[in-house]
Amino acid sequence: MSTLAGGNETYRGLGRLLIVKAKRYQGLFLLLLMMLIILFVLNIGIGSVNIPFMETCRIISQHLTGSVPGGIIWKIRMPRVLSTLFCGGYLAVAGLLLQVFFRNPIVGPYVLGISSGATLMVALVMLAGLSIGILGIHPFFLSVAAFSGALAVMVVILVVASRVKNIITLLIIGLMMGYVCHAITSILIAFAEKEKVKGFVLWQMGSFSGFTWKEFYLVLLLGVPLLIGAYLMSKPLNAFLLGEDYAKSMGVNIKAFRFLIVIFSSALAGLVTAFAGPVAFIGLAVPHMARLTFGASDNKLLIPGVVLLGAIVTSLCDLVARTMFSPVELPVSAITSFFGAPIVIGLLLKRRVAI
Amino acid sequence: MTRSDGVRQKTKVMETRELEVGYGNRTVVAGINQEILKGQFVCLLGPNGCGKTTILRSLARLLSPLRGAIYLDGHMLSDFTPQELARSLAVVLTERLSPGLVTAFEFVAMGRYPYTGFLGRLSEKDVEKVQEALYLVNATDIADRYFNELSDGERQKVLVARALAQEPEVIILDEPTIHLDLKHRIELMSILRDFCRKKKITVIISLHDVDLALKISEIVVLVKDGAIMAWGPPEEVLKEDAVARLYDLDRARFDRKIGAIELVNSGNGRTTFVVAGGGTGTPVYRLLSRGGFRIVTGVIHENDIDYHIARSIGATIISEKSFREIKQSRLRHSLAIMERLDHIIDSGFPVGSSNRRNLELVLNAVDAGKRVYTLRSRKTAHELYGKLAEKLIYCQGVQSILERLKE
Repeated sequence: MSTLAGGNETYRGLGRLLIVKAKRYQGLFLLLLMMLIILFVLNIGIGSVNIPFMETCRIISQHLTGSVPGGIIWKIRMPRVLSTLFCGGYLAVAGLLLQVFFRNPIVGPYVLGISSGATLMVALVMLAGLSIGILGIHPFFLSVAAFSGALAVMVVILVVASRVKNIITLLIIGLMMGYVCHAITSILIAFAEKEKVKGFVLWQMGSFSGFTWKEFYLVLLLGVPLLIGAYLMSKPLNAFLLGEDYAKSMGVNIKAFRFLIVIFSSALAGLVTAFAGPVAFIGLAVPHMARLTFGASDNKLLIPGVVLLGAIVTSLCDLVARTMFSPVELPVSAITSFFGAPIVIGLLLKRRVAI
Repeated sequence: MTRSDGVRQKTKVMETRELEVGYGNRTVVAGINQEILKGQFVCLLGPNGCGKTTILRSLARLLSPLRGAIYLDGHMLSDFTPQELARSLAVVLTERLSPGLVTAFEFVAMGRYPYTGFLGRLSEKDVEKVQEALYLVNATDIADRYFNELSDGERQKVLVARALAQEPEVIILDEPTIHLDLKHRIELMSILRDFCRKKKITVIISLHDVDLALKISEIVVLVKDGAIMAWGPPEEVLKEDAVARLYDLDRARFDRKIGAIELVNSGNGRTTFVVAGGGTGTPVYRLLSRGGFRIVTGVIHENDIDYHIARSIGATIISEKSFREIKQSRLRHSLAIMERLDHIIDSGFPVGSSNRRNLELVLNAVDAGKRVYTLRSRKTAHELYGKLAEKLIYCQGVQSILERLKE
């Protein structure tokens, strides 16, 4: 490039800059990973039953399941803590996908009515007597109901998305679907017996307490392929940062891409809601935290970033929910919102650049 | 279709046949049958809402045509895969972008989309192309800043660099100068013209500025009332009446030789006679027109810039043929008009053999006891008018004439 002799100096400067940035990102990832490990250990070690730290280490390293503490750690805490990590990651990725897709920073899995659809189905099962003849409702049945609710909303959104071109319209339709689901749910609550309502309200608050190994494996097997798929979409996701028209002009197949985003985000959010109930805020806030932490909107970076950060934030919130007023366990949504919202506001105000 | 000989040998890049564009059932522009050649700078002009954007969006395949066909390099536009199209055609749109925490470099790098692999990792060549694009739009120094932090002018350059990084044959730009100040507007246009000349990229652009279009484009397209009003070189297409018709100008006029639009002198205030020439009248006309005065001016040669401006403004002109000495009849005509007026302005025109008689106009007015305002210094006035110069009203700067006139 002989014609550009004058620019060569700056070129080299740019190259250096890219390397410096890459190193910074590596450092950040390492830091996040360490935080995650620390939180994992804390979550395993702390609980309503006090198990000394050395004992915990021994139980884990030697895979002791026989004793009572061993049982607590391997049968109760381990699946719960692991599930919390993954669910947090899933919610954060679902939120990120939706934020890029709608080019709107205030959307999360709640917006498309995904969580509301799941809630409605659970309400039908728990409150409206669809469970006639089954005295104790099997938790797994609830999960199936929640997932089918999320799926139903998703299918409606997909049908609408194939006709409606405007993303804002789609967003508003999602919001309205959410309201309708809420309305039906509250009618069901009004007519339901008090006993049942209590159980439903508890579910609605969201909790990771019910996870067993079986459920964890299910969450793992269904969710990880979705995460990988989301990462593979990071190139068109980046193009989408410039809006649909530019994305199209750069060669993104918009129709297929819309379809994939809606599928992936609702499947991820639906999966979590099915097992843990609606968990607020993670999907909305973690993508913001990640963008500000990395100082970038590059989704190739952000997707692994939000997985880690989502896992960290969710684990931390679960830890607080469990231990703050132990043995009373607070609803995890309360903690996520209570601590998360001010953090996001603070981060946003400190920044000059709009996200 | 009219086309100058120089471009006739060039190859065709785009072609439309019986193209009809619009949204749903609503046709916006119909009957577009045109060709665009390689390396041409094509500029769409027309009033707001005439369909420039609709045409551009259709040419970029962001909108499907209602009828007819568009060809790019001889193939139907609709037959291109998204990637193929992105490699030959790039766009710069008007919508305001807020891509988040994306640096200018990353923004331009997105232009490499049709060339990078599945995950979008930039190869060394890609990075080189991005840097070249940034360099060509003079944006190397802002490469590391966030896009959202940039000024309008800088953003527009980055947008153009992104389009360039796509290495397209055709760049389509929708009103790229709309938020820009004069400096950035001119900088952007010269960058684009360089693309045409040096890289043989075809630029299709919509503009608001007739002046700019006249000076920069090879082909201008006038869009009006759902049809293409004219298509051709600006010298042939941008005639005074065509521009007036295009924008429904009744309060402004366009002068092709100067390439400028003047507001028509529609004042109903006092009529003022301006003795002018050599461009000294131009600021006076504009001032009087703004102040709501009616203007008569003379005697002006037809090759004088004052003549063109006075005509655009809609002043009454007593004119003489180019380079001729002012005829006695013209002078008498001027004096006859002047007789009915009280205010005369001497713009301080340069005096030479062909317009020497204009001095008589001034002298006559002074002699007749009219108020004569002059922009000359006392010294030169004495040299030109002798002792009658005592009776002139001396004004320093154009603005002070207006103040005196309003007294």
